[in-house]
Amino acid sequence: MSRAIQSLVTAALLVAALASPAGAADFPRTPPAPGPAPTLHVPTPVRQTLPNGLAVISVRRAELPLVTARLLIRRGGEMDPAGRAGLANLTANLLTKGTVGRTAPQIAADAEALGGSLDAYAGWDQSSVGITVTSPKLDAALALLADVVRRPTFPADELARARKQAADDLQLMLSQPTSLASLASARAVFGDGAYGHPRVGTPQSLGQITRADVQRLHQTLYRPDDAILVLTGDITPAQALALARRRFGDWVRPAAPLPPVPAPAGHSALPAVLVIDQPGGGQAGVVAAHVAPARDDPRFYVGTVANAVLGGSYSARLNEEIRIKRGLSYGANSSFDPRRDAGLWLASAQTKNPSAVQVVQLMQGEFDRLGTTAVPAAELAARKATLIGAYGRSLETTAGLARRVGELAVYGVDLGEVARYVDAVQAVTPAQIEAYAHAYLGARARHVVVVGDASVFGAAMRKAYPGSVQIGRQALDLDRADLRAAGQPAR
Amino acid sequence: MRRPLRAAVRLVPLLLLVAAATMPLSAAELAISPIHYRERTLANGLQVISARDPGSPTVTVQVWYHVGSKDDPAGRSGFAHLFEHLMFKSTAHMHAEEMDRLTEDVGGANNASTGDDITNYFEVIPSNYLRTLLWAEAERLSNLKVDEKNFTSERAVVEEEYRQSVLANPYGKLFNAIDPHSYTVHPYRRPTIGSIADLEAASLADVIAFHKTFYRPDNATLIVAGDFDPKQLDAWVDQYFGWIPKPATPVPQVTAQEPARTTDKRYTETSPTAPLPGIAMTWLIPPAPSGDTIPLQVAAALLSQGDSSRLYQALVYRSQIAQQVGADVDARMGPGLFTAYAILASGHQPAEAERVLREQIARLADQPIPPAELAKVKTQLLTRALEQRQTPMGLAFALGQAALTEGDPARVNTDLAALQKVTGDDVQRVLRKYVTGAHSVTIDYLPQPEAAPANRQGATK
Repeated sequence: MSRAIQSLVTAALLVAALASPAGAADFPRTPPAPGPAPTLHVPTPVRQTLPNGLAVISVRRAELPLVTARLLIRRGGEMDPAGRAGLANLTANLLTKGTVGRTAPQIAADAEALGGSLDAYAGWDQSSVGITVTSPKLDAALALLADVVRRPTFPADELARARKQAADDLQLMLSQPTSLASLASARAVFGDGAYGHPRVGTPQSLGQITRADVQRLHQTLYRPDDAILVLTGDITPAQALALARRRFGDWVRPAAPLPPVPAPAGHSALPAVLVIDQPGGGQAGVVAAHVAPARDDPRFYVGTVANAVLGGSYSARLNEEIRIKRGLSYGANSSFDPRRDAGLWLASAQTKNPSAVQVVQLMQGEFDRLGTTAVPAAELAARKATLIGAYGRSLETTAGLARRVGELAVYGVDLGEVARYVDAVQAVTPAQIEAYAHAYLGARARHVVVVGDASVFGAAMRKAYPGSVQIGRQALDLDRADLRAAGQPAR
Repeated sequence: MRRPLRAAVRLVPLLLLVAAATMPLSAAELAISPIHYRERTLANGLQVISARDPGSPTVTVQVWYHVGSKDDPAGRSGFAHLFEHLMFKSTAHMHAEEMDRLTEDVGGANNASTGDDITNYFEVIPSNYLRTLLWAEAERLSNLKVDEKNFTSERAVVEEEYRQSVLANPYGKLFNAIDPHSYTVHPYRRPTIGSIADLEAASLADVIAFHKTFYRPDNATLIVAGDFDPKQLDAWVDQYFGWIPKPATPVPQVTAQEPARTTDKRYTETSPTAPLPGIAMTWLIPPAPSGDTIPLQVAAALLSQGDSSRLYQALVYRSQIAQQVGADVDARMGPGLFTAYAILASGHQPAEAERVLREQIARLADQPIPPAELAKVKTQLLTRALEQRQTPMGLAFALGQAALTEGDPARVNTDLAALQKVTGDDVQRVLRKYVTGAHSVTIDYLPQPEAAPANRQGATK
């Protein structure tokens, strides 16, 4: 059947070719070779410091009249106190919901009249507010940014509203299989440590957060000597310094030292394979997680390249095996997320419920292969090229540039690293990747979580992984390291 | 969309792509240069549009075909999109996935997307690979040769894409129901993603027929933006695309006419996993080239762009009825949709959201619009257009949207002039004509959890 159809195509092409024989004959049968490679120009960040300790980092790119401004605080969700998961994120969010002179609707209207919008959130190791505007609007945008960071009032009604919205957002997140599996896998990897809790909060913790909690966190962590102002785009270093002085120069540095950071990882009480039953779920979300070394580990680039090989792009191994070869998913990928005090490796894919077990096995196999076989040279060169190309493109927009430079600054990495990235990636060897994967990505340190309709795949999973444990979606308590609500035994 | 790993790229709404011919932004604060593009048409009908951005070491090569899910064959909903995936499989001179070897493996990226009217394929590569990718796009336009094995495995991928976007996404079924309920006659009524049954019915013979019918030089627009030499580009385009013959038969066109709505209609959809109810309402609007499209875009921006917008303030902020709200102009080559939707906050029902959505739209249509609010949305739209122009990919998308959906690449530079001229009266006239004075389709979306049988979990013990 298929051969017959293909000969029809060939016939059609022959007819087409005959219609313009000269041109068709000239059409090359192999891809034309590339010309000499262009050079990637990486702009130079300039770092200046105000007397109060605020770091001012600017990168000039003046082709278009645009500037991104982002104020970063070097602490985030890692600082959430026990039972107050989501506090740092809620605090960042509430910055834009009321200041000494402005209500929440006024802040939104003022930002949007400048053409941008204030984007506030907390990551694990940073809290930040940013905005992108045309250059004539920059001074007004910075005035607004300074106002929300320095003079928030955290009105009680705004806290109530934000808590309810965060609880609804969380419900939405928990209804998506891969999102839920990722949250559960962090508990599996970090247990009751700081990186184990959901940074967006839990239904219980959000209800417990008080205005005093928010005020205390702001007072303790939002201070100029632990903050960074990043300005990228149509702005010179001199302009950056002048604007920073004007809006942040009188921000007072407190005398108290910064509070200590809690332990990132603690006791983990979860099995190697955990199934969370979501009755009626349209697909199974499969994730596999490992602990990773912290951002300042010297093997940072080894981890970065290892992830590019495993699952960092379309052509990487996980997608090749799960999607391209077998059609089991729309996409399988991995991420490498090194933080200040530890990090997380996460692979994920969604698949139809009947193929959940097969996807778990394929994912495990790819982690194992990375630690037992050297990556072939051609494959490694290709994945490094993918990584470097994506890096170059990430620097093309003012917002992307601010993100890259801000990341380096938050972790205290020398800003010259922005230009050394390409060489550092190229220097990684197959032996380094194999040793890294052997050390960190072995089966014994792996945690798999599957969320889906277990009436379809539960029995098969139990058979393939006799030590696996299944719990119901409704019995889940993300505040607990063992995830089990009181009185809810595992099945 | 072929691959989910990338930042999602869809055929973005019209106004995000506008640009001005050295147009003063309110109070002459900012002058924006026009996009200097070149346009030519080969003897075989291929339209070629190019724009230089010498600041970038990359170039984007894109082919936008005038074919979309409205052209799905009968009984084959989702076919145009399935076909898009197959364009990454083998050709006469490329093996399956060779496009990835020519892009990802050398520091580039690629993707494609299918809409109702358009299917586009796009690569961004280091600029020394321009010639290679021009060849590769000409190759898959002229020499596609998919085999049964590739066809079957890629169809399974598309079925997973369906499950992921429609079934596993808690609000996927709501948004997927909009087109089927909004159109009665026009093929826009078929969802682009199709259905599992129709995908299963598709065959390799369908692939060959579809390629022959729609993938031809006179039904395509080649767009190149970034770092290139214009003379060299012309020579390579002539060499690789010029020989491809233009078929004698005309390209089939959709001729169905969607009738005006005569009554309001209401439908209900349910979801086993959505945690909260939702609601969506639609109204028919004229084809994208209409002069009314831009005032409608301004109306949608006034209603829902940003936290200071009217719907966010009324539904999410003040009454807290909704968790998310939106208003959108989905302008198409044929009749499009003006859409308003809400995902409810816990403890609220669709009827409450519907009442406020209708009140807010009516207020915008009937009560004076403050000039400062109108200036705000114009500034927002201009800033987003500038942000988009920072990359060769963004430039090319702006040109493609203007050339295909709006029918003229010059629109990339004239739309902003039109935007700056929009008045409050324009906004109110189009809202009354197409929305408050016309008939709506309303879809209520209700969570309906599947009951877990008592022995359900025990069965796997």
